[in-house]
Amino acid sequence: MGFNIIFNSTGIINFAQGEFAMFGGLFAYTFSAVLGMPLPLAVLLAIVATALIGALMERAVVYPLRNASIITAIIATIGASIFFKAVGRLFWPNEAYKVPEFTSGNLSLPRVTVSQQFLWVLGLTVLSVAAVYLFFNRTKAGKAMRACSINRQAASLVGINVSRMSLYAFTLAAALGALAGLINAPFASYSIGLFLGVKGFTAAVVGGLGNTFGAVTGGLVLGLSEELITGFLTIVLGVSTGYKDAVAAALLILILLLRPQGLLGRGVVEKV
Amino acid sequence: MPGGGIIRDELKNQGPQRGSLCWEKKYRQLLALIKAQRVLLIFAIFLALLPIWADPLAGPIHLNIILTMRLVGIFTIAAVGLNLLIGYAGQVSLGHSAFFGVGAYASAILAVKAHFPVWLAIMAAVIASAFIGLLVAPVLRLKGHYLAMATLGLGFIAFVFMREMTWLTGGNVGIANIPELSLPGLRITNDRGEFYMVWVIALIVLALCGNLVRSRTGRAIRALHQSDVAAGAMGVNVSWEKIKVFMLSAALGGLAGGLFAHLQGYIDPNLFTITLSIQLVAMVVVGGMDSVWGAVAGAGLLTFLPKIVEALPKWIGPGVPKWIANYSNYEGIVFGLILVLTMIFMPSGITRGLSDLGRYRRSPFVNPYRKKVVE
Repeated sequence: MGFNIIFNSTGIINFAQGEFAMFGGLFAYTFSAVLGMPLPLAVLLAIVATALIGALMERAVVYPLRNASIITAIIATIGASIFFKAVGRLFWPNEAYKVPEFTSGNLSLPRVTVSQQFLWVLGLTVLSVAAVYLFFNRTKAGKAMRACSINRQAASLVGINVSRMSLYAFTLAAALGALAGLINAPFASYSIGLFLGVKGFTAAVVGGLGNTFGAVTGGLVLGLSEELITGFLTIVLGVSTGYKDAVAAALLILILLLRPQGLLGRGVVEKV
Repeated sequence: MPGGGIIRDELKNQGPQRGSLCWEKKYRQLLALIKAQRVLLIFAIFLALLPIWADPLAGPIHLNIILTMRLVGIFTIAAVGLNLLIGYAGQVSLGHSAFFGVGAYASAILAVKAHFPVWLAIMAAVIASAFIGLLVAPVLRLKGHYLAMATLGLGFIAFVFMREMTWLTGGNVGIANIPELSLPGLRITNDRGEFYMVWVIALIVLALCGNLVRSRTGRAIRALHQSDVAAGAMGVNVSWEKIKVFMLSAALGGLAGGLFAHLQGYIDPNLFTITLSIQLVAMVVVGGMDSVWGAVAGAGLLTFLPKIVEALPKWIGPGVPKWIANYSNYEGIVFGLILVLTMIFMPSGITRGLSDLGRYRRSPFVNPYRKKVVE
């Protein structure tokens, strides 16, 4: 979703989105385990801190490049991503940290046992989707952001501060990324960075870039089809499970080639 | 040389005066060639003389320049190829590690398992990479971000295949004992010999690519960058030109990969991850997107930089705090910073950016990479 928000309002694909998730996890670890804060407060602070980093990045990197070409912007965000990762290593040198679970223990239902962590993940995802939906459709800032995505020039003509919207978008995306990193797994590690980015982008494309709800659907469709295809390959054809990541990438390419507007997105008429 | 024979015949038939004119013409052509390729020649002389001062210096500065320059040569080849694609044709590829890896693996497998001679294996690797390039060419129908992400996906798929096809590639263990580069007859297997061999190939590639971009094909490719539609309207076969330059770029990636495999003597999939793709793109972009020499500058800067950063604590000596000396990832910080800063302040790369600075004003031409978007 973070990808979508940024792409929506700035037209830039943020390769550092995965690093936001990384920072979210690392901050939460620091606040809760090292500084001994209660978990809800730590999570909240982690999200705020990551959002600040997002805002900082927008001002430092994206704002000066607002008129640059695609490749320039891509390289700059990749550079930011590498920089963030290296800085992260400077302060948190270990490979992985364990963020405490929200509540431990399992919830026993008839026939199935679900870990409470899973319920938290589900609940927070639904909650954040709802919040983002409301934000984009009910609040003035959200509507202004959507206006920027449709036509930046027109948006600025009706009095919307386009560059401020871009700042908000990055802040929001960073906060969401932090949340994603927090609920992704009880572990905060480095390897999730770029990989999470690729998957997040795939999910956003599957759902249609520029379509807020699409990203959620895309995430679901992607996760399910990845598991199903990998399951099919391993069980029926006897291929090793290591190909799982290749399946995700192949899905991305296929979707891009066959339905570039996404599964839910509308067709876009290209102007010359 | 058939030309030489003709001239000698003319000498015999038409007297000395006519002949001397011919020789003078040849001489003038040679001078013109030297003038046209003077940068290349100066660079070649610089490289040829490099070992003289670089070898004694290696000890005191904790940095073996010759060893590093071999890698620069290899990355130059790959970066020039990628530059044709990104800088000239305007097609972003974030998956060039795939071709680099395919070249390395093809060459290594052929040389180790099928006992091919080294250079034959490398040639086969070039063809294999070009073929893979042709195979995945349909992604070229995509544009902008989509193309970038699709090629990123390709690089990822290639990495997974290298890791998982254990029967062929050895999986995570990789392939070891790859024969070194050597010339038939001569037995030069030391670093300096390899340095010369790699750079002779790199210079040939540079010269050929320099010519290519000034040819009809080169102009067609550049037309693609500005606008597909306009290029098509001018009679450029858009999709075929794209496929051609993609294949060429893949082939050069494969050549670099093949050389790399034989130079290192050992390869495993973790050498060919997305990070490599990003490094290659960074070399092109930081070096300068529309110049062949940009690739050299980018490859040189980004290959030497990590080594220098690594050697830096040794230069400063024991005064460095331990937690700084032990931290191994400054490369990431510097690399990331360079990418961001170059993009912000010199979006057309350091070669162009520095020459602009040298002239103390910006180029009078509109920089095509800095599109002005009306806000």
